[in-house]
Parts: sequence; structure tokens; C-alpha cells
Amino acid sequence: MRRALVIGAACAGIAAAALAVAQAARPLIADLSSKQIKISTGFTGAQLLLFGSTDGAGDVVVVVRGPRRDEVVRRKERTGGIWINGRSIEFGGVPAYYHVASSRPLGAFANRNTLMEYRIGVATLNLPALSAAPDDLVREFRTALIRLKREGKLYSESPGGVTVMDGRLFRTEITFPATVPTGTYSAEVYLFRQGEPVGRSLTPITVRKVGLEAAIFEFAHRHAAIYGILAVIIALLAGWTAGVIFRRS
Amino acid sequence: MQFYFPIAEMSLNALLLLGLGGGVGFLSGMFGVGGGFLMTPLLIFIGLPPAVAVGTEANQVVAASVSGALAHWRRGNVDIKMGVVLLIGGFIGSTMGVVLFTWLRQLGQIDLVISICYVTFLGIVGSLMVVESARALMRNRPAPGSAGRKLHQHTWLHGLPFKMRFRRSKLYISALLPLGIGVFVGVLSAIMGVGGGFIMVPAMIYLLGMPTAMVVGTSLFQIIFVTANVTFLQSVNNQTVDVMIALLLVLGSVIGAQFGTMVGARLRGEQLRALLGLIVLAVAIRVGWDLVAMPAELYSLGLIGGLS
Repeated sequence: MRRALVIGAACAGIAAAALAVAQAARPLIADLSSKQIKISTGFTGAQLLLFGSTDGAGDVVVVVRGPRRDEVVRRKERTGGIWINGRSIEFGGVPAYYHVASSRPLGAFANRNTLMEYRIGVATLNLPALSAAPDDLVREFRTALIRLKREGKLYSESPGGVTVMDGRLFRTEITFPATVPTGTYSAEVYLFRQGEPVGRSLTPITVRKVGLEAAIFEFAHRHAAIYGILAVIIALLAGWTAGVIFRRS
Repeated sequence: MQFYFPIAEMSLNALLLLGLGGGVGFLSGMFGVGGGFLMTPLLIFIGLPPAVAVGTEANQVVAASVSGALAHWRRGNVDIKMGVVLLIGGFIGSTMGVVLFTWLRQLGQIDLVISICYVTFLGIVGSLMVVESARALMRNRPAPGSAGRKLHQHTWLHGLPFKMRFRRSKLYISALLPLGIGVFVGVLSAIMGVGGGFIMVPAMIYLLGMPTAMVVGTSLFQIIFVTANVTFLQSVNNQTVDVMIALLLVLGSVIGAQFGTMVGARLRGEQLRALLGLIVLAVAIRVGWDLVAMPAELYSLGLIGGLS
């Protein structure tokens, strides 16, 4: 018992020393409760804890960005009495996921230009239109894109979502909805002082399907023909089994 | 009971899927129909992307039609020769249908075409059924088969070439006729995610003049092959067949169909047809309403080349 206590104390000492060394070298260190989100059978979304410490007072901002891809926004228009997909605009490099959490509202510690430079805040996202369209229409469709992403909990802002303790330790919860796309994400942490970022840390997060789900998805896409044949065979067997049970009852 | 389904890329309640299977299975057991025309709109309604709903439902119909066809096979109610001609047409039609489906999906108009197909064909078939069974109910007894009646009326359709003899159905007609019907229903099967029995059965009775006893078994027999073809092609072209969802639906529908058959046996034919006609019409109206009513959300997002 005593030995265990001694070892425990030693470990704590080493950890504290390591923290001190790290702090001397960098104004900011951060880590995640997990660097992987595994999508398996029971997946209904995930929560990660991001935590770390700073070398003194300041404002902490956490930005999580999902993989970029091209997306299309379609608008329903009334044609001949029915609502059909009419005008559509494609946007390039749209982050699949975007979340900002900060210790105070963004405007309270950084000016607009700085936020634009680091693309902090949903409003600062660069979403260029790939389709030729008048400017006001592009703006309208871009607003709709952001609104839909917000409604799907894929884009979010959480001013005050980062909790700071003793001016040095900080933590925040990052929530991913069940519909989170797979790919490589990045969790960026900034330490702001006098309106400028003085420290930055970057941690990648991998979102991937695992287990049976991953196997089925991979198989369906890589061996589509065999998947199709198996789907038919499974259905034939299921139907045949049902037919046999039917006759008995 | 939330489960993540990797093909649909969303999590759904497994009990809800079992329940849907059970409910639709009950109705299909009661009326002797496949139920695809009910299931696909329901799957879309609970949030499945329409492309996945159609591909997955085709897979479920394979299973449903095997067990149905098996029962008719035992009673000798399958005209294999007619079934093969129909399914050759069905293969051609469903292959064309999947190509059309893939193209429409890239255009972003697949949802619209699915809806219009539902409104049009369910609207027509539902109205005809309701009118026909209402007349039969008003006569208050089954239509008497008059003694000197011809087996069927002769029209220009019987002047077509490539005549073929179908012994089991006691028909001598042009093979082009069942082939054409097969092609047409095949296209619909691919786009609507249905077996197409609700079009095939009336077409066999009124256009081909097949004996009623042979119709359902033969229709089910060819539906197995056509929906198997759709399942295969949707898997290859669009990767939109979710076997896990299909299996849950099959499980539910097998159980539901048992009870449905028991209830169906207590009702008269005209009553059943009237009730089925009303349900078919209700689905058509529901889908049609979504087309004409101002949508709550005008905008939609899609990955380029991804699921709609």
C-alpha cells in the first residue's frame, strides 16, 4: 500500500515536471480524450473532451474542422403547380464539420481581420461558388448552406464553451452528431493575448467506420457486384425460409 | 434500439424498421400484394435518402416474392412460360430503369421522378380499384360469369406477330405483348422500388386475358427475377442497397403477413379490393400533397456525385 502511494507520488511528480517543461517551451499545450471517433453499430454521435493548459492568462479558442469537399445547394421552385428542384449552386472546399468554442465571445478578444485570417467563426468560412451565378444569388445560397449545416448540428459556435480554471487550465466538450461524415478532422487551439494569437496547437482527429459497419461499407463500394449478388442470395434464402415456416403454421 | 446502418449512413431505430415491416407485411398478407408501393414512401418518410429507400426496398421485395411465389407454385398456379417471357421484358426494362435512375440522380431530380411515378400510377390504379369494387359491392354479389362469354375480347393487340402458345394460361397471343408489359413494369420497378404487381396483375388480366388463378403466382414468379436484377444493378451503379435494413424489414413483414392472411381470409374479395384501393389512393394523395404544398424547407444539400 505504502509502496503504491510512493509510486503514485513519483508519477505525479514526473507528470508535473513534464508539464512545467512543456509550459516553458510552449505557451499552450492541449490534448483530446480520444483522437479517434469510431462509428459502429450503436453510434448515435460522439463527445470528445479537449483539455490543456496555458502559460498564463488569455483567451482560448478551439476550432474543429472536418474534411473539405464540394457540395451542392439546391432550391425548390414552383413549376407548373409542383415544387421541384430548380436552381442549384455548387460550393467548393466546404468543411463537412465546423465547430468553434471560445472562453469569451469571439468579438470580445479579437478583431474581425484577425478572425478572418485564421478563419475562426462560421461567418469567416471561405465558401467559394463553383457555379457561375449572380453575387446576390450566391450569397443567398451560401446563407442557406450554413443554415442547413447548423440545423444538422454540423456547424456550431459555442461562445463561452471553453471553461478556464485558475487562468491556466482549460477544457471544452466537442459534440459530433450521428450524421458526422468520415475523414480526417483537425482540432486547433489558439491562445489569444491583446487581440493576437500567441500560441497554437493542432491535433488531428480521425472519424472512421469500424467493425461490421466498416466491413459492409467497404465491401459494398469495393466489390459492388459481389455485394449485389450476396444481397440477392440473402433475400432469396430469407424468403425461402419464410415460405417454409408459412407452410408449417 | 438505435443502430447505425453503414449504407444509408445514418442511425435508425431497429424496432421502427421491424414495426414498419410488420405493418406493411400485415397489409400485404391481407391483400396478397407485395407492399413495395407502401414501404418505399414510408422509408423516405422516416428519413432514408430516396435512392437508398428504392434500392433497399427492391431487395426486400425479392424475399417477399419468393415466399409468395413458393405458395402459388405448390398449388400449380405459376405459368412458367409466360413468366419467362415477362421476365425477359422485365430484365430489359429494369436495366433501362436503373440507368435512368442513375442519370436522374446526377441531375438532382430523382426525388421528383419517384414522386411523380407514385402519384400517377398509384392514383390511376387506386381509382380503378375503388370504382370497380364499389360497383361490385353495389351489385351486392359476385359478378356472374355469363355462360356464352368469350375468354377475352379480340383487339388489335392480338394481330401482333410472334404468336406463342401458353398452355397453362390457355392463351395463343403475340409474345410482344407480355414482353412489352415486362419492359414497362421493369422500368417502374427500378425507379419506384416496387415489385410492380399492382400494375402487372391488372395488365395480365385485362390486356393478356390470363385466367385469374394464374395471375398472382406468375406475377410473383417474375417479380423475383426483376427485383433481383434491380438489387444487383442498384448495388453496382449506386451502392444504395442496405442489406441490414432489408433483413429487418423482411423479418417484420414475415410475421405481419401471417396475421394479415388470417384477417384477409374473413373478408370478401370486393371489400378487400375496395380497402386496398383506398389505401393505394391515400398513398398517392399523400405523395402528391408533398409535391404541391409549399415545402417547409426550400433548400437542400447534397454531395456532388453523392447521395441526394
